[in-house]
Parts: sequence; structure tokens; C-alpha cells
Amino acid sequence: MMPKAIACFENVSRRFGDLVAVNDANLELFQGDVTAILGENGAGKSTLMKLLYGVYPPSNGRILIDGEPSAITGPADAMSNGVGMVFQNFSLFPALTVRENLLLAWPKTPFWASERNKGTSEVLANLTRLAPHINPHSKVANLSVGEQQLVELCKVLNISARIVILDEPTSVLTPAEARHLHGFIRQIAGEGVSVVFITHKLVDVEACADKIAIMRQGKIVDVSIRGQRSMSEIVTLMMGSDVKRTMSPPALPKKPVERLFLNKICADAPGMSLKNISLSVASGEVVGLAGVAGNGQALLAEVIAGIHPVTSGDVVLDGQNLVRRNQMETLATPLGYIPEQPRENAVVESMTLAQNLSLRTLASGGIDVNSDVQALLTRFHVNPPEKDRQASTLSGGNLQKLVSAREFGSPRAAILACYPTMGLDLSAIQTIYLEMFAQAEAGAAVLWISEDLDDLIAGAHRIAIIREGQVVAVKINDGSLTRDKLGALMTGMNLDELVA
Amino acid sequence: MMQVNRDSILVVSATILAFFLLMVGFFMLLGKPPFEMIGMLLTYALGDGYSISQTLAKTTPILLCALAAAVPGRLGLISVGAEGQLYAGAITGTAVVLAAPGLPAALMLPAMLTSAALGGAFYGYVPGILRARLHINETITTLLLNYVTVLWVNALVFGPWKDPASQGWPATISFPQAAILPALPASRIHLGLLIGIALAIALHFFFTRGASAQKIRILAGNRKVGEMFGLNFGTWVIMLMAMGGAIAGIAGIAEVSAIQGRLQPTISIGYGLTGFLVSWLSRHQPLIILPVAFLVGGLVAASDALQLFAKVPAASAIILQGLLFAVALAVPGFIKSMRPGYER
Ligand SMILES: Nc1ncnc2c1ncn2[C@@H]1O[C@H](COP(=O)(O)OP(=O)(O)OP(=O)(O)O)[C@@H](O)[C@H]1O
Ligand SMILES: [Mg+2]
Repeated sequence: MMPKAIACFENVSRRFGDLVAVNDANLELFQGDVTAILGENGAGKSTLMKLLYGVYPPSNGRILIDGEPSAITGPADAMSNGVGMVFQNFSLFPALTVRENLLLAWPKTPFWASERNKGTSEVLANLTRLAPHINPHSKVANLSVGEQQLVELCKVLNISARIVILDEPTSVLTPAEARHLHGFIRQIAGEGVSVVFITHKLVDVEACADKIAIMRQGKIVDVSIRGQRSMSEIVTLMMGSDVKRTMSPPALPKKPVERLFLNKICADAPGMSLKNISLSVASGEVVGLAGVAGNGQALLAEVIAGIHPVTSGDVVLDGQNLVRRNQMETLATPLGYIPEQPRENAVVESMTLAQNLSLRTLASGGIDVNSDVQALLTRFHVNPPEKDRQASTLSGGNLQKLVSAREFGSPRAAILACYPTMGLDLSAIQTIYLEMFAQAEAGAAVLWISEDLDDLIAGAHRIAIIREGQVVAVKINDGSLTRDKLGALMTGMNLDELVA
Repeated sequence: MMQVNRDSILVVSATILAFFLLMVGFFMLLGKPPFEMIGMLLTYALGDGYSISQTLAKTTPILLCALAAAVPGRLGLISVGAEGQLYAGAITGTAVVLAAPGLPAALMLPAMLTSAALGGAFYGYVPGILRARLHINETITTLLLNYVTVLWVNALVFGPWKDPASQGWPATISFPQAAILPALPASRIHLGLLIGIALAIALHFFFTRGASAQKIRILAGNRKVGEMFGLNFGTWVIMLMAMGGAIAGIAGIAEVSAIQGRLQPTISIGYGLTGFLVSWLSRHQPLIILPVAFLVGGLVAASDALQLFAKVPAASAIILQGLLFAVALAVPGFIKSMRPGYER
């Protein structure tokens, strides 16, 4: 006899105005199963799970929990029914500590609980299991995005959820953190939790999925058991055709002309400081910056973009100094800049796609949006390509594409890209890399921050390693670089020790 | 689009109905015949030329104070300082009159209004700069500064500015004719109303068209992104706080000049706070503030009259206002929660 499904979608649809985000979906989730949901950006993955979590009600169809029609009316209700979800963008309080955040979300927290209260120590049990390296007393604002993700997950585990939904958890994790998470997911599945794992990465699927559901344009087009289908079959089902990863950075110019120059940068932020960072990027060159998250790359990016002030040092682009000397000064960034977490750092969600594409014009006193917005939306495959749509309604990946469209859409002197492919599907990743390399080809100096060592090795001319706020090495990517070598530099381990 | 209109019609009619029912309950509690009382309210608000003039006289300061809160509100600031700015404008405007009582109207009125606007602006500038440079919460500072100006007015009219001829009465000399804002004959509808309406229309364009509108929208939506593209949040905070203050300052001198004829301790019966609520109800949209201020002005004027003629307690005016605001805030949320399909 088949085991009974813990949750079941029956002909579920969800419309937003004319747009059908989820179209007649059927899916069953079982206890102890890890169900991976794959699909291109905007396929409806997040929306489908938000229906289960009660963020929106379905427009049609129904959701059963334990065979009964779900009575979940909102996230708080979902949590008390044992459904927990970790979103693509987070909901932690940055000014509070990790422990305080966990306490706030914990149903058993007595309101008088204080920082010293011993009785609440079990709130940290999951944190100790999942992420022993995170100090529960550090402020969330000082954590890397990956660490924040793990804290979010602990919040959900603390409510003893029977169904745990993870929306693209690995897109912000380092490969090592991701492997750790895979193991952890297998562990909680073994304890009987039903896990839903939305992802774009096939390694996630290989590492920990039992079932694979594939969504395409709002429909669930296929559900299979792992191993039943080959990876290329899965990609074809997702994208409509098999997408091959090809990457070829542009040839370096014969005579490199230095264009972007970081000169002895020192800067301080809570919990992080940059020490004497120097690096130069030539016109047409792609320099990768690799490092374990939380080693200063985010701060360095903000310094280069003129958002965070320096204590000393300069960033010079074509002879112009970009750094901000104090908190009161503001500078317009002349860079093409893709920050991490675009929803918070790069778009104005309350404005339209056209306005977001024209922020440079509007901020410098222009009244009308740029004339080429429609062409940009099409060129970068932003879906739906409706220029008057409000940016807040875009799916996570499409929002990322929107920012790329703005920053890569016209020629720039320099590009600063932080994790530019985060949350993107395979074909969108192709587009972004093509556009980024085209910028280099046209003479831009490209500084590319990434954790994906394979991509960096495939696409960068040189790779700089950042560790504890310092650039510890700059390597020419002449074919001799390997993941292990870079990994050793990133973590500070001696390669010889590693081999021995 | 149709959907949006149907929703707002539903919200407005439900709000009116709920307010009506609460008023019925309120008058029954007072032991007065409810329908007769509501009928009287309507008559005293709009019944004849005199009532309308009273309503518009109350509308004027409420309208100006609402605009004063809306201007910084568009940037996401919560300024409750209109009351204090109103008093500040009253002081600096009066200062001109006292310093040069002999000026002809053609010079007096512009000088008086400008000075009032500057006084109010200064009183917005101070919390503005505290917020922009030192990150001090503008809601707290504007709230506290309110008390300060009210006391300043007292200090002046009990002290150096007191009219020696007025015996014990704390007030300045009566304003000379040249310093009285022109009004419609035999009514209390004065130039201040015209200024308020003109400002509402001008602000509508300021906030929806043009370069500043876009910059404010960007900064209000995501400050970090605005700063990335070279906008200075602090500068805009200071500018809009001062601009709002200037508008409230005009409200202050208009009350002093056109309604009271002299500076005395009670210029405002909480117009600043009422204006703040009107602005928030109207989501800081000047063209919506216009009718809402008129509605609230009518309620204030009529409940004043009701208190006089129907012997309801003096607090009724405030209670009715409070009921209106509570209903207007609660009903839309309630309707939203009743309809699960409602989108944000
Ligand atoms: N609140 C909303 N209002 C209008 N449209 C929305 C809303 N939320 C989502 N959509 C639309 O529904 C579609 C599906 O979005 P969803 O976020 O589920 O995609 P996704 O599969 O999670 O994509 P991604 O991989 O990019 O995160 C998109 O076209 C999106 O624009
Ligand atoms: Mg999504």
C-alpha cells in the first residue's frame, strides 16, 4: 500500500491579474522524502510553495494536509501546523543577535526570557547541530549571507516542522556549506520530516533529493524518482532544450592598460575590516575575487562602489577617485555594479521595471525612463517582459536579471559583479556570462566576486584570493589553477599539509 | 483597473456606514436623539452660507497642517511637528507686525507671510538636520519641539509682547488692518484657504511630475539604492522637513491674522495632530488631502456648534474626530482581511 501523502496539491492554480503563476498543479509530498523542485526562473516554484505556506490562497484547486483540506490562512498559522519555509530573501532582524532572533521566532519563548535565561538554551540546539561555527551572540548584521541562511533554517527547525520548505537555500552558500546542508537535510528527512528543496543546481539534486518535480510555465511537467532520469533529460524538461555550459572569456588585449586600481584600501565595518587591499584590473581583463563568504568581499564591494567610506586608500577608475571619505558624502557610482541580494541592494521594489532600468537617468534629474527599456528586458530575458510591471512582483531570478540588464545593458568603464548568477537558471547564467565577457571585450575592467571556483577558473584571467580582509594571493589563471589550490588559499591551509 | 475602483468605492461606503453607526451609538450613550443630532451636525457643517464659512475656516489650518506632514511623509519620514511649526510661524509672522506696524498691506502681507514661512521652516530644519546628520529620530524631536514653541508663545504674550492696554489678558496688540489677511466679505474664508488649495495642487505636481518627484520616489523606496546613484538622503530630509515646516508656519500666521486678529496663547486646537492624521489617511496625496481636510473641517466646525446649541459635552468634537480616524484606519484593513484573495 502507498503511504499517505502528508501534503497534496490537487489541481492548484494561482493567478496574479492576467498572469497565471501556477497552472493546474498536482503534487504529493511524503513523510521522510526530500522533494526537489526545479524549473526556470519565473516557472512558479516559489509561488507554489507560498500557497502551501499560506502566503496566498490558491485561485483554484485545493491543498490537502494529512488528507484534510488545508485550513492554513497565513504563515503564522502554517508554522503552528508544522509547515516551515525559508524564503529566497530573509526575515531576520539585523540589529539583534542570532540567539535573540531564534528566541523571537520560537513558540516556546516566554516573553520575559532574557539573554541570561538558562532555560532557553534548547533554542540553540539546532544551531549547534547545523552550524556550530556561528556564534549565537554575534549580531545578524555581521553574518555572511550564507550564515544568515543557516540561521533562518534553524528558526524553521525550531518549530519542529513536519514539512520544511527551502527556497533556493544553496544559492547563497559556499560549496562546503552546501555539502554540510545536504547532509543535514538527509538527516532531518531520516527523522521523518518532509523536505521541499527548490533549486537550480543539479548537484543539490544529486546529493540529496528522493523525488524530482519539474515546473515549466506554472505547470508541473514531470515528477520522477531520483535516478529515473538522466541529468540532461531533466535539463531538457526544465528548459525545453538541453543547455550546455560553455564559457570562454575574451582574449586578453596584447598590451594591458590599467583601468581600475585599488590602492591600499583600509576600511572598517562592524565585525570586519579591510587591510591594505591593492589590486589592479586592466582594460579588457576579467579578475575573479574568490574567498569564503564573510572574509570581507562584501565590504570591499561597497567600498569600491562608493557606498561604504574608507579609512584610507583610493579606488581609481580612469583617473577618477571613487571612494567615499565619510558617511555624509554620496557619490554616484560610475561602475556597472551588481551587488549581492539585489532585492535589498539594487532595486526599488515599489517602482516599475522601466524605472528601475532607468535609475541612473532618474537619479540625475531625468524625468522620462530610457527609451531602450523594452529592448533590454527582451535581451536579458526578464520574464514577464512588461516594462510597467512593479519590480516587487518579479521572481527572484528575474529580479537578478533585471539588475544585470541595467548594469550590463550599456558599455561601462568597469564592472563590479557580486555573485551575478545567484538564483539564475542555466540559460540565464549563460546570458549573464556572455554579457559580462562582452563588457570586457569592449574594454571594461571586470572585477567578479564569486564563490563558484569552477566558474572562476573557467572564466577569469586572474584570480585574487581574499581572506580575513586581506588579499592573500593573486594568481594568473594559466591552466594550472585547480579547485584544491584555490580552496587551500581561501581557507589558509597549506597545500602541502593538504596533500600530506 | 476596474477592480481597484470597485474596491475603493466599497471601502469608502463601508467607512461612512461604520462611522454613521458609531455616531448613532455615541449620541445614544449621551442620551440624545441620534438621528436628530446627526442631522444637526450636517446642518451646522453645510446647512447655510454661515456654516460653510465656519467649515472652511476650520478646513484651512487642517489642510495646511496636513500638507506640512505630507511633504516629509513622501520620503517616509514621520513628522508630527506641524503643531509646533504652526506656533513658530505665528511667532515670526507676528514679529514682523510688531516691529513695523505701520507698513502698508502690499508690503506687510508678503513680509508677514514670508517671515512666518521661514519661522516654520526653521522649526522643520532643526529636526531635519538632527535626523540627517546625527540619525536622531524625527518623530521624537518634532513631538518634543511642539511643547517648546507653545511655551514660547506663552512667554512672549505674558511678557515682552503683551499689549499694555489689554489689562490682564495675555495677548499682543490687535493687528493693524494692513496685517489682516483678506477674506470674503462677512465670512471667515480668508486668503489662507486659497494658499492651501494652491499649495495642494502645486505639491501634487511636485510629487508626481518632474525630476524631484522621481528622486523622492527612489529614496523613499530604497534609500541605499538612491545613494548608490548619487542621491543624498540627508539633503532631501532637511529640504522636505523645512518645506513642510514652512507650510505649517503659514497656517500659524493665517490663524493669528485672519481668525484671532492678534497673537494669544491658544492659536490652535490641535490642528497639527489633526492634519497629521488627515495626511496619513490620505496616504500623503495632496489631492486626496483636499477633500479629507474639508470633511474633517466640517466635523470640527459642526461639533463646535453642536456643543453650543445642543448642550453635548465639549469633548464630543474630539471624540467624533477620534471615531472618524479610527474607522477610516480600521475599515480598509478589515475589508482586506475579509477577502482572502485580496492582493497586497
Ligand atoms: N505578488 C505577485 N504579483 C504578481 N505577479 C507575481 C507575484 N508573485 C509572483 N508573480 C509572478 O509569478 C511568476 C512565478 O513567480 P515565482 O516567484 O513563483 O517564480 P520562481 O519559479 O520561484 O522563479 P525564480 O527561480 O526566479 O525564483 C512570475 O512570472 C512572477 O512575476
Ligand atoms: Mg523563486
